[in-house]
Amino acid sequence: MKNMMKSKRYALLLATALTVTTVLAGCGGGKSAGNVAAGDSGAGSTGDPGKQVTISHYTIDSEDRTFIEKLIPDFEKAHPNIKVKVEKAPYEQFDSKLQTLIAGGNSPDVTSHYGYGGFAEYYNKDMLLDLTDLIKEDGFKAEDYNIPENLMKIYTVNGHTYGIPVNMYVTLMLYNKDMFDAAGVSYPPSDYEDKNWTFDRMVEDAKKMTLVSDDIAKTQYGVDFTWAERDMRPLYFGAEPYSEDTWTNGGVPSETHFDSPEVIAAYHKLFDLVFKDKVSPTSEWSKSVAGQNGDPFVAGKIGMSIGGSWNLAGANDFPFKVGVAAVPWGGNDKVRSTLYVDPLLILKDSKHPKEAFEWIKYLMTTEVQEKSIELSGGNPPVNTEAAEVYYKHFDGIDPEDVKKVYEGAVKYGYESYNHLITNYSQINDMFINELQPVETGHKTLEEVMPVIQKKVTEIIKR
Amino acid sequence: MSTVKATRPLGPASRPRRRIKPVKIASFTALLLTTFLMLLPLFFMVSTSLKSKREMLKFPPTFLPESWAWSNYTDIFETLQFGTLYKNSLIIAGFSVFGTLLSSALVAYGFARYRGRGNNFWFILLLSTMMLPYPAIMIPQFVLFSKMQWIDTFLPLIVPAFFGSAYNIFLLRQFFSTLPEELFDAGRMDGCGELRMWRTIALPLSAPALATVAIFAFIYSWNDLLTPVLYLSSSDKFTLPVGMASLTSSRFRIPPWHLLMVASVLAMVPIVTLFAIAQKQFVEGIVLTGIK
Repeated sequence: MKNMMKSKRYALLLATALTVTTVLAGCGGGKSAGNVAAGDSGAGSTGDPGKQVTISHYTIDSEDRTFIEKLIPDFEKAHPNIKVKVEKAPYEQFDSKLQTLIAGGNSPDVTSHYGYGGFAEYYNKDMLLDLTDLIKEDGFKAEDYNIPENLMKIYTVNGHTYGIPVNMYVTLMLYNKDMFDAAGVSYPPSDYEDKNWTFDRMVEDAKKMTLVSDDIAKTQYGVDFTWAERDMRPLYFGAEPYSEDTWTNGGVPSETHFDSPEVIAAYHKLFDLVFKDKVSPTSEWSKSVAGQNGDPFVAGKIGMSIGGSWNLAGANDFPFKVGVAAVPWGGNDKVRSTLYVDPLLILKDSKHPKEAFEWIKYLMTTEVQEKSIELSGGNPPVNTEAAEVYYKHFDGIDPEDVKKVYEGAVKYGYESYNHLITNYSQINDMFINELQPVETGHKTLEEVMPVIQKKVTEIIKR
Repeated sequence: MSTVKATRPLGPASRPRRRIKPVKIASFTALLLTTFLMLLPLFFMVSTSLKSKREMLKFPPTFLPESWAWSNYTDIFETLQFGTLYKNSLIIAGFSVFGTLLSSALVAYGFARYRGRGNNFWFILLLSTMMLPYPAIMIPQFVLFSKMQWIDTFLPLIVPAFFGSAYNIFLLRQFFSTLPEELFDAGRMDGCGELRMWRTIALPLSAPALATVAIFAFIYSWNDLLTPVLYLSSSDKFTLPVGMASLTSSRFRIPPWHLLMVASVLAMVPIVTLFAIAQKQFVEGIVLTGIK
């Protein structure tokens, strides 16, 4: 009896809840959920010439990403039927907001993989619009925008193009000229063809600059080689942890080799910098010196630092003289630099893909790409003509060096795994967690790598 | 009670009675040390907020700024549209506090003063909503508000506060239950309606509880990051936490920690102020209920 009453109450409650939801949902007045902007009545992709449509560009809320707002007025003048609205989120919340926007039927039209997740993740979640037909219809040619053909290939899967590259970051070496001068070591070369510039020579140079003292203020290290994502690092020594087919089938590797002797040996070489040669700081030291997000190099405590070319953008603020150099040769004749090519993507749920593509093309023109360098505070363009302006952007750094390093990096570069492998944010988190005890010296690589191998396999199958 | 006279010598002569027990000295020292430790981050926040960008990068960090960059406090208004963000946050938090107080107090009053069938069932149901984590309702709620065309407005951040929150209702119900029934009987005899009794008897007597709820609601709304990130997209509508998170958003530049610290110092002001005001309420409330 009591149970029945309870279930009756439950039914009543459910009914009330349902009514409330329907009534509230009805308030939308039948307008489509996606159309937030006024004056947008869902003209669709047919591109009614007289009708005005609003497209939204979703990006990270930081100056080097939101500069596109300043490009909108000129674009709207040239395309009176298209309005562009910029939607923003802080870096940490970028992915979750995007997922919610799409799930909530409010999908933006244009974005990039600026969060933790990469292209392959978007592709495998079926979030992206296949641009092939749009490109054909429009007659878009990469060469008209000075985009190198090999960069276009990165975001092409099985002959279908899903993204147009817009910015290209490479891996390079920044070095502290003051520290080199003090130790009497000659500057490293910016030329990738210089065969003397090897990993071992880098270690020798680093030894001369390393000074470990009880006084933490006096301690300094020769090199910081936290190069690229953790699973990417073996590649530099010629060991390949993911099977070949990963790059042709949308980022799902059929096999991984994280417990192979080659991969383990490669990691050993890197950890030797910290624990054997002692020319690199431990992660605890780095954190205590530079804070959670900081970089001990910026604090002037590191001689050479391998990192993304975005580090250049801060170079004007460094409290010391800085130079750029090539990443030394580590044993892989083909790959020495990680490339981070950011594409512009149109999302599958976009209601105005044609207009979105117009906007993308506008952002790719040489003139706009050149303007973007200044507006963004130094974002490297993929447009090779605009790149000439980029090379000259940094005070106190020889443009010739920047150019050499960039061109060498493209020649010896490989697109970052984080854009190319599926479920990458989970793989990355797992790597950070599992390698932590090795970085602090509490576990050996031989203990950890089989575990990583097992976990990677599980994550990829998800 | 022994008054603390730390300078008094602790010789054997002063042993009887008024002696300060070593335990007390030890605990006092411990407390002093912890206070110092607690205040240290706060001190560094203020100190960093007055450093130049170059000095902020220095290691070891300077304790006090070498040159006091007071201009940081004006710069923040340019780099971050700080005024707009502050105003938005204040508007949203203000309405949220008002909404929470109004709805929660009303519902709590009902739960505390009425006995009806299924009273407990509804109350348990209400409390069980506390167990629902926000991410679980995030997407359905987003769909709902987007269908109502509320995206990129303050409404999704304000309106839910007017529908009560389980924790605050629970807190107030417990407080209302302690009010003596005689007070309400007297009210009834004087011909008071229920709403009026709620307003003129229950609410004024519950100042401390209401102050607590107000502080909770304010802090919750003031610190909330996820909801504003989801619902707001244009910069002139952003709240303080969104703007501050964006300050360190760039993967490509050294985050301007000094400016972030300026923002943090200024963001603390309303909470400290509110706490100071509410604390007075606390004390007065306790005194009043004590007399009754």
